[in-house]
Amino acid sequence: MNIKLIALLTVFIPVLGSLTIPLAGRISRQARSVWSVLLGAVTAALPLLLLPFALSGKQDIAVRTLILGLDFKLIIDPLSVFMSIVSSFVGFLIIVYSLGYIAHERHQDEYYLMVLLFIGSMMGLVFSANLVFMYVFWEIIGICCWRLIGFYREKDHVLKADKAFLMTFFGAAVMLLGFILIYNQTGTFDLTAMRGTLISGTAVLFILLGMFSKSTTMPLHTWLPDAGVAPTTVTALLHAAVLVKIGVYAFARLFLFTFSLPAGWRDALPIFVVVSSLVAAGAATVENDFKRILAYSTISQIGYIFLGFSVYTPDGISGSLLFILMHGLAKAGLFLCAGIVIHATHKRDIREMGGLIKTMPVTAVAFLACAFSVIGLPPFGGFFSKLLVITGTVKAGQVWVAAVALFTAVLTMFYLLKVFSKVFLGEATETAPEKTRGMVFVVALLAVLSLLSGLLVAYPMKLVETATTSIIWWNP
Amino acid sequence: MTPQTLLIPILLPAGLAVVFFLIPSRVKLVREVLAVLGASALLYLGFVFFSVRNLSWKTPWLGRGIDFDLRLYHFSAFILLGLTGFLFLITLYSTVKMRNTPRLREYYGYVFLTAAMANGAVLSNNFVPLIFFWGGGLLTLYGLITIGGQTSHRTAVKSLMLGGFCDFSMILGIGILWAKTGTLTLSEISVKPEGVLAAAFILMMIGAIGKAGAMPFHTWIPDAAVDAPVSVMAFIPAALEKLLGIYLLARIALDFFHLEKNGAMAITLMIIGAATIVLAVFMALIQKDFKRLLSYHAVSQVGYMILGIGTAIPIGIAGGIFHMINHAMYKSGLFLSAGSVEHRTGTTDLRKLGGLSREMPLTAFGFAVCALAISGVWPLNGFVSKEMVFHGALETGYIIFAIAAWAGAVLTFASFLKAGHSVFLGPRSQDVPRVKESQGPVVLPILILAALCILFGVYNKLPLQTFITPILDGHAAPGEHLDFTSHALSVFNPVALISIGCLILALLLHIYGWRRGGKKAHLASEPVHTFPGLKQIYDLAEARIFDIYEQGIRFLRSLSLVLFKGIDRPIDAVYDKGVTAVGRAFTRLFQSAHNGHYANYLAWCLGGLLVLVGVIGWFVGF
Repeated sequence: MNIKLIALLTVFIPVLGSLTIPLAGRISRQARSVWSVLLGAVTAALPLLLLPFALSGKQDIAVRTLILGLDFKLIIDPLSVFMSIVSSFVGFLIIVYSLGYIAHERHQDEYYLMVLLFIGSMMGLVFSANLVFMYVFWEIIGICCWRLIGFYREKDHVLKADKAFLMTFFGAAVMLLGFILIYNQTGTFDLTAMRGTLISGTAVLFILLGMFSKSTTMPLHTWLPDAGVAPTTVTALLHAAVLVKIGVYAFARLFLFTFSLPAGWRDALPIFVVVSSLVAAGAATVENDFKRILAYSTISQIGYIFLGFSVYTPDGISGSLLFILMHGLAKAGLFLCAGIVIHATHKRDIREMGGLIKTMPVTAVAFLACAFSVIGLPPFGGFFSKLLVITGTVKAGQVWVAAVALFTAVLTMFYLLKVFSKVFLGEATETAPEKTRGMVFVVALLAVLSLLSGLLVAYPMKLVETATTSIIWWNP
Repeated sequence: MTPQTLLIPILLPAGLAVVFFLIPSRVKLVREVLAVLGASALLYLGFVFFSVRNLSWKTPWLGRGIDFDLRLYHFSAFILLGLTGFLFLITLYSTVKMRNTPRLREYYGYVFLTAAMANGAVLSNNFVPLIFFWGGGLLTLYGLITIGGQTSHRTAVKSLMLGGFCDFSMILGIGILWAKTGTLTLSEISVKPEGVLAAAFILMMIGAIGKAGAMPFHTWIPDAAVDAPVSVMAFIPAALEKLLGIYLLARIALDFFHLEKNGAMAITLMIIGAATIVLAVFMALIQKDFKRLLSYHAVSQVGYMILGIGTAIPIGIAGGIFHMINHAMYKSGLFLSAGSVEHRTGTTDLRKLGGLSREMPLTAFGFAVCALAISGVWPLNGFVSKEMVFHGALETGYIIFAIAAWAGAVLTFASFLKAGHSVFLGPRSQDVPRVKESQGPVVLPILILAALCILFGVYNKLPLQTFITPILDGHAAPGEHLDFTSHALSVFNPVALISIGCLILALLLHIYGWRRGGKKAHLASEPVHTFPGLKQIYDLAEARIFDIYEQGIRFLRSLSLVLFKGIDRPIDAVYDKGVTAVGRAFTRLFQSAHNGHYANYLAWCLGGLLVLVGVIGWFVGF
């Protein structure tokens, strides 16, 4: 199959396929589940076909001309292939896990429709080489996210979903203004035509607000902990695979791959994001709600990803790309472990839990493994990504920023070990067995992948290195 | 020998660890046989590698200078030999001592993984694999401590936090070094610790001494002595981490940075060393638990090694490194003998033990040799290495460091007199039933270590010339006197006489305390413990006021609270309260505009039209 067709299919199979899910739901529950998993599997498999092309470091553009001189343009390069593989794979695992988790809920048609549309729009956003389509997919993701957060339809949940939607919509709207400013300057929305263009500080600020709102960076981050009211699968999807990664992806695509930023922004960005990372780690230490802790942890780790990108060194960029993969695996694992615990105990306050390692050994070990990866301890994958981000930061001359980032890692270690000790160790408060086999299998797989991604880091690193080389157009 | 054989010390134990995890827990004999055989094979390999001493293997790993680069040379071969030797002894010991503990699968798995990590760290010739293996050891240590019991996970977290902090410091140091020198290859780096590189030196030093268990990163060790299995203590904090930590410290001081005699960095090291010696030994003296007492010595003795290396004088550095291997032997032997006592009596509380020397003569003998060695009694190995450190400290001209080292010697001997007297001598205690000597696999490692302590002391030429002096090759000034064996056991020089005087002082102190305490040996330290001024400090220390971990956690908690309450919540309040309030205010404003009067609406329409015209007009350019 040719490369362009694969890219188009990667985007349109899930987007259009998601709309057929309610039809499958008409036939039977079974049919809907099978159909959803199948769509997810195809979406995860297609980008893998692009891997040999991506590893060659080449770039290809798929164009379909539309009305009004707008081109539907997809860019296929190592960066977009890498991102699509990570997102669709984690997304697929979450769909498998959902089969057990969502089995007893209502509105399952809507659930699977939204999840697949979510993943499909992510693919669309990742491959878009046009600012307008990027924005369109960006907003579709926002809408899916809004429905999914309010999935249980309780009043409080709907309010939280509204908050998430409004905050991210605000960011997106401002970002659109930024896009318009760029259009005024360059006369095009085509990213490939604008490589190396120096854009104004105002445009940077506007676009940055959009990225920060989706990728939950201070000061636009507080909707994410609140979004924890969603089903745990959704939270995992938001945190690990799709939502929060689009801001950092957009950063890499726009601020690294495409545009040139004014010097002042380059100096200020690392400081912004490291402070955000630190504050979120502090909040995670104070919180006692299982999912809120993990949510703050995501905000904190996103700070690292931004940090690696914003220092503009090859080490940092490679580190951040690797971080997207490692964080995707590990954080999905953590959330899905939390899901098993919450599903079984019906509690969310870690102070009320304890001793669950006896009844949930696999979940406990998987949680610990994923936690080690998030902390950044060898031999887990997170170690390498954090190491590269730190050395990249140091090489950019920002030693103090690197020191703060490492201090954040100490804090991360503290709160994640606290969660593990409180939930899984100590006196058992109740006996809550691990339930669905599929759910346990997925968390175990994610834990094993977190370990393997460390032991065999050279393989993902190859793609990451190619992506870094293809991103950098300036002289680092 | 093909270079790929360098992978065996890493892959063999790692592979065995996987096997141990997979063998079902009821299969004991096969597991133990496999463990002993595997450890013997590794020890054999250790000897082979030491005879080769020159091998390197490199393969690209992550690109941009991060290679999987292994290098065997004199120093790393020496440490590797030590590591494999201890693995063998501990495995042998564990076959009996650990036999009936739960989680045996994990125990052997973690022990061999630890060995794999340690071997990997010592063979690495690139900083990234080094820190990879270095940090990997933290996780296995965490696992091993949790095996101890229900509450031991707290100590496990503590060890992981402290170790993690030190490792993260080292990562930053490595980052700075990489940015400045442009390479990650250990054997290519050689800089002066000045400016930002001084920071790199300090950060990397924290990583090294944190591993070795120096103050202030030591506080998990005494806790682990109580919580973790004793064989873990004898293996990791007593032996393996000392070898690794001091190996790296020596590399930092000798290879990566040029440590200048009495330079700022050298003085920093000496201060840390001296403080560690004195403060930890004061804590050791008053302990009431055998294992806890030993663990404080495991901290205190690191001070001698750091002090020795910090002198930046050949005799001091050699003494520090020699002390490292000596310490690993006698401290491991001491922990193992404490384990032997625990194995038979079920307790290590000094108050409950007494007069065991008749029933456990071999353990008592092994303990006595190791205790005399750690105290620096002529002609054992501890005497030789301590003398070298004293000489080095005196040569720097800062007599204060030598005095601190001597003060440490006094209290070390006093506390071992107390411990040995309480456990093995004196009247037979009534708290424990009659016991037998421990089985062969328990006693044998203790006796082997004791024999090595004697050998390395009496025939110090062997270790000094085979292991230690070649490390300094190329680092000492040409023509410098590098034969330390000539006066190693000489007692008729001022330094040795002062040392011997210290030992006599310790004996007198012990006898005085023993009499004061109603001839109860475990009370022999009470005169020091209750000494005015000291008592208050001891009370604070026992309340963990000086525990960097407790204080650090308190700091993390309060900082987090400030960040959460001071930054995160106010931002959220802006959205939750501020934005909604503004929204409501506007709604109310517009609501009041819609009051149902036709004229009112017409006025709004006209007003809007005017504004529109105005805006369009402004654009068109009126």
